[in-house]
Amino acid sequence: MSDNVTLTIDGVQVTVPKGTLIVEAAKQIENEIPVFCYHGKMDPVGMCRMCLVEVGQPAIDRGTGKPELDEDGNPVVRFFPKPMTACTTTVSEGMVVKVDTSEAAVDDRKAVLEFLLTSHPLDCPVCDKGGECPLQDLTIRHGPGNSRFDYEDKQHFPKRYPLGDLIVLDMERCIICARCVRFQQEIAFDPVLAIENRGRRAHIVSYSKPGFDSHYSGNTTDVCPVGALTTRDFRFGARAWEMTNVPSLCNHCGVGCNTVLGTRAGTIRRIMPRQNEAVNELWICDKGRFGHHFNGSPDRLTTPLIRKGEELVEATWDEALSLIGEKFGAIKSANGADSLGGIAGARLTNEDLYVFQKLFREIIGTNNIDHRVGLSAALEDETAFTVGVGVGTDLGSVGKGTTILNIGADLDQDAPILYLRVAGASVKRGAHVINAGGRRTKLDAQVQTTLRYNYGSAARLALGLLASVVSQGLVAKEWADSRTSGMADLEKALKNFGADKVAEATGLTTNAIDAAAKAFAEAENGIIIFGLEAGNDPALRAALEALALATGHAGKPNNGVIAVLPHANSRGAIDMGILPDRLPGYKPVESNAGLSAVEMLTAGGVKGLLIAAADPAVESESYKQALQQLDFLVVQELFLTETAQMADVVLPAKGNAERDGSYTNLERRVQTFDMGVPAPGKAWADWLIFTGIAGQLGADWAYASADGVMAEITQRVPLYAGMDFKNLTAPISLQRKTEHYIYEGMSFTTDIREGIQWATVAESDSAPKIPLRFIEPAKASSQEQGLTLVAPRMLYDGGRLLAEADVVNAHILEPQLMLSRSDAQKLGVSTGDSVTVSQNGTAITVPVYIERTVSEGVALLPRNLAGRPAEKLVGPNGLYSTVKVEKS
Amino acid sequence: MANPLLKEHVLLRHRDIEDIHKIDVYLAHDGYRALEKGLKEMTPDDVTNVVKASGLRGRGGAGFPTGVKWGFIPKNLNPKYVVVNADESEPGTFKDREIMESNPHQFIEGVILCAYAVGAETCYIYGRGEFWTLFHGRMQEAIDEAYEKGFLGKNIFDTDFSCDMYLHLGAGAYICGEETALLNSLEGLMGQPRSRPPFPAVAGLYAKPTVVNNVETLANVTPIVLHGADWYRQFGTEKSPGTKICSLSGRVNRPGNYEVPLGTPIRYLIEELGGGIIDGKAVKAILPAGASSSNMGADKIDTPMDYESMAAAGGMLGSASFIILDETINAVWAAEKNVKFFKHESCGKCSPCREGTFWLTSVYRKLREGYGTKQDVELIETIINQMEGNCFCLLGEFVVPGVRTSLELFRNEYESLASEENEVDQPQKDLIHTFF
Repeated sequence: MSDNVTLTIDGVQVTVPKGTLIVEAAKQIENEIPVFCYHGKMDPVGMCRMCLVEVGQPAIDRGTGKPELDEDGNPVVRFFPKPMTACTTTVSEGMVVKVDTSEAAVDDRKAVLEFLLTSHPLDCPVCDKGGECPLQDLTIRHGPGNSRFDYEDKQHFPKRYPLGDLIVLDMERCIICARCVRFQQEIAFDPVLAIENRGRRAHIVSYSKPGFDSHYSGNTTDVCPVGALTTRDFRFGARAWEMTNVPSLCNHCGVGCNTVLGTRAGTIRRIMPRQNEAVNELWICDKGRFGHHFNGSPDRLTTPLIRKGEELVEATWDEALSLIGEKFGAIKSANGADSLGGIAGARLTNEDLYVFQKLFREIIGTNNIDHRVGLSAALEDETAFTVGVGVGTDLGSVGKGTTILNIGADLDQDAPILYLRVAGASVKRGAHVINAGGRRTKLDAQVQTTLRYNYGSAARLALGLLASVVSQGLVAKEWADSRTSGMADLEKALKNFGADKVAEATGLTTNAIDAAAKAFAEAENGIIIFGLEAGNDPALRAALEALALATGHAGKPNNGVIAVLPHANSRGAIDMGILPDRLPGYKPVESNAGLSAVEMLTAGGVKGLLIAAADPAVESESYKQALQQLDFLVVQELFLTETAQMADVVLPAKGNAERDGSYTNLERRVQTFDMGVPAPGKAWADWLIFTGIAGQLGADWAYASADGVMAEITQRVPLYAGMDFKNLTAPISLQRKTEHYIYEGMSFTTDIREGIQWATVAESDSAPKIPLRFIEPAKASSQEQGLTLVAPRMLYDGGRLLAEADVVNAHILEPQLMLSRSDAQKLGVSTGDSVTVSQNGTAITVPVYIERTVSEGVALLPRNLAGRPAEKLVGPNGLYSTVKVEKS
Repeated sequence: MANPLLKEHVLLRHRDIEDIHKIDVYLAHDGYRALEKGLKEMTPDDVTNVVKASGLRGRGGAGFPTGVKWGFIPKNLNPKYVVVNADESEPGTFKDREIMESNPHQFIEGVILCAYAVGAETCYIYGRGEFWTLFHGRMQEAIDEAYEKGFLGKNIFDTDFSCDMYLHLGAGAYICGEETALLNSLEGLMGQPRSRPPFPAVAGLYAKPTVVNNVETLANVTPIVLHGADWYRQFGTEKSPGTKICSLSGRVNRPGNYEVPLGTPIRYLIEELGGGIIDGKAVKAILPAGASSSNMGADKIDTPMDYESMAAAGGMLGSASFIILDETINAVWAAEKNVKFFKHESCGKCSPCREGTFWLTSVYRKLREGYGTKQDVELIETIINQMEGNCFCLLGEFVVPGVRTSLELFRNEYESLASEENEVDQPQKDLIHTFF
């Protein structure tokens, strides 16, 4: 039997795979069956009854078991007595569906619309959804022209009910399709919405504390087919048809979600997801949706500033650039090129970063460049070059047969959309997810295996898993022999990491380690994800790389390693060689490696520094002192940050909505974004500023645009050979069509720019054998008495860009020490009391919060919060340390 | 309370035997002998086959052959569940309550036999919230007694068969009598129906094969297994064998439960058993299956009460809860009461039922209060046409027949309430004003 079935819809034949729903089959022949509750990403429920169609099946003669034929020899079709919902009925061979050709079905749909409109307020003229509203559009297409319902009898509900502080509910507009409730349950795994009461009094409620407590709440406003759910920052912001929609990318984390900027009169009115099944499907997180307000902030830098004594005074670009050229030139001739250095943040684009490193390496002549400050310093990754996930990896499609090993990443906080995809792979599609971490995270509830290891033992766990793979005989021999070298040495080194030793170090059982190793090694596809909380540990990365290689989970789609790097273009910063010891394309610097960011930020490190898109002054007091001792400091920024206030020259840069460029996401996918709004004042794109500085130092670069820079990257960086703006910026139409938003919700689903991934070493059959690396993990920290202070990253942190979004202010954490109940009891403190946390003479005072997800012996103090208290204790690049906590 | 049509009651045996709710009395009258016979002498398939052969049909309303339903349960998927629908909430139905209150062991025995037949080891009895005293009193006592005597628990009658039974109370929702909504409610979810397929027989409670039967249906299983299919077929008609408890209410002199062989004419129920209409008035309409039934006119009073004849006469036997209206009752008032009931009980999941019942209620209210128009009468007709066949589950569909037949039979009463004058007096509504 073939796996396809052929059916007839309104007289048109269509062949689709078995199990397809009628509504999806009809979509293929552009027969739009109207729907409200149906959504392609959620399980069908058939509750709105909008998609009623007449369905018939060929009659089978009971005696012969053959189809009955009429006089002309055509099969007899028997129609079901009742109309069927096209969104819940699967197709079958020979089925006949009548959508528009059946008068009864047309009447039924008209009836359903009249019912839905009986208690709808019909306030389209003031409704945010007006113009892109499925209810409005479908009423015009299928509905009755007038209502016989007596207006006086309408059921009334509150018109402005805040479900949480981001989402406002207008219950009168709601048609109870439950898409929002189902999104939260099935896709976000945050079941914080529900329908309460029954019949006409049914309404949407959220009983979580705080209300609608989810990082994905904004998506419910997209899937809502009416104007019932609106976001607080777009309510009454603009009419849909008045906005210009521009394809963009989110710049808040490394996932690289595709977005659309809804702009009007030079300002961003809203941000919505843009479909890219390989990256973010149809979703974005609330940080991405609400965190765009920095673009239009009145505090933005609009003109270059030059220090005159204590003051920073406005200057022209000519003045600023020639001053930089003069000072840098003088420092270079007096003290040599290596007395200059540059730090560039990882939210700059590939084009910016490429020009940045070219400026330092080719024009100034030093390798003193780095991107590793702040969060970027807390997690490094070089494994992507060899064993990064294969080209074509799609976490949105992996399921049964795939094992995902997540070590030390709290995905819901670090990379929210990745969380949706990993949790979905586990819950919806049956992938085996092993969540290893030092504390309970949200992903634990959605996975099959949880490994809770002691902080600091992640590298040992990884080596233990590898040793267990070897001892259980699960090495993918053929692949490992032909593609890797050094297996014998590795096996020898692993002798010290037998299950019992690792069990002792990690606090896990030997059975748990063996079972996890087996599950990973035996899976058809294996993906390793690691993050901040595993520690910035070369031994861990070597072990994970070897684990992927030894099990053969490398070099093909849906296999390999993903590092959850913190910034939008952290991957690109490494690719572009913003490292003192590595050139673009992971080529090591031969002899004269430069200074790292930490070294440059040490007193006496360099004399002149260019800092772009980074704010080291807030990270640490010692950085600040080092910056004060510089001869000359140039800062290139969006805002007058603490570092910028110390600068000799401040240069205003464009935000990502104000320019074009490309980012490389944590799966090595290069994607581009377009310019949406004009920049404030005289701000320039960062690559242009670097080009200007280079010009002052004697270069004659002729970059006219970001794609000009990318054209050079494709020639000079082999990894990026396949990428240029031409194939990255496929023409994209953001025209809003009804057929898109009735099925998928409000996300833009017309055209998709998928982006391009660069291939890893493991994917190239001609590449030399990859050496299996082994690095001895550092000795376990000394047996200091006290709690382990861990500084994880939170989604809503104290970052400068997010601070501009008033709407999420309430979500930004105040510094607080999260303790387990038992530790709090031992200290005699409860939530709200303040404690003194000290380590090596540094002490801070913070309030306590008793948090049930924290295990005993661990205290959490998120990093990147106001005043950077956590960084004071664990160091600006650290993640955890042993501290003493006392009641104060 | 003698019943001239039956020598002995089959289901309401407590009317013949005093204190049969006590296990000793029940044991003295063939109690749990059917279970012993089933477990020791019959295979599970034998039990299913005898039920099939008896022609027993579901007594909850749909009338689906019980043995056939059990046959749908796949053999190789475990665990399986037996769920008893004791959410007796159809207005005018009170038969299951009497069985559970007064003859509980016959019912419990039937449940265990059903579990044995389908291979389930866990049974849940889902009762309506109002059965609190019953479920915390006599039903629980009866189950405890059965456990004590070893009819429930491990290795019943020293066979390999073990069975546990649990009582569960709903929270007072009519929709939870719909089997998939009942299963949702039992799982702790919101009481809303599930879409079918999959049917409960394949994926029911906790997505496992589940047989859902009514209390009265399972109470019938005990005598069928004990006495055999042929004995059972002596009652009733060829296609509707057995006896049926009819809940009689409305304008009759002696309302109550009456057990009669299927095929007994309605007239016998009303006039002989129910003692006729109060004050000797004339029958106006018969609602044979509670609020969800069609109105049968007085001319249908001689219809035999079996599934086929009732359907042929334009009604349905359903759960056989006969509500009798006499000539003193206004048809619009009666129909409105039912519509209001459905509006109150609509779960809100699907649009036609949620909005349709709400809309109907307001049109009915308008008519009854005397400011309806002729168009409103037609509107009622179009609303039910728009609901019919379009609802998610049967709750919405059940609104239709009552209203439709009420309109058909008593349209003059509707029209006499509607006034021409109202049409003129209706003020034009200022819609723009009402937006703000």
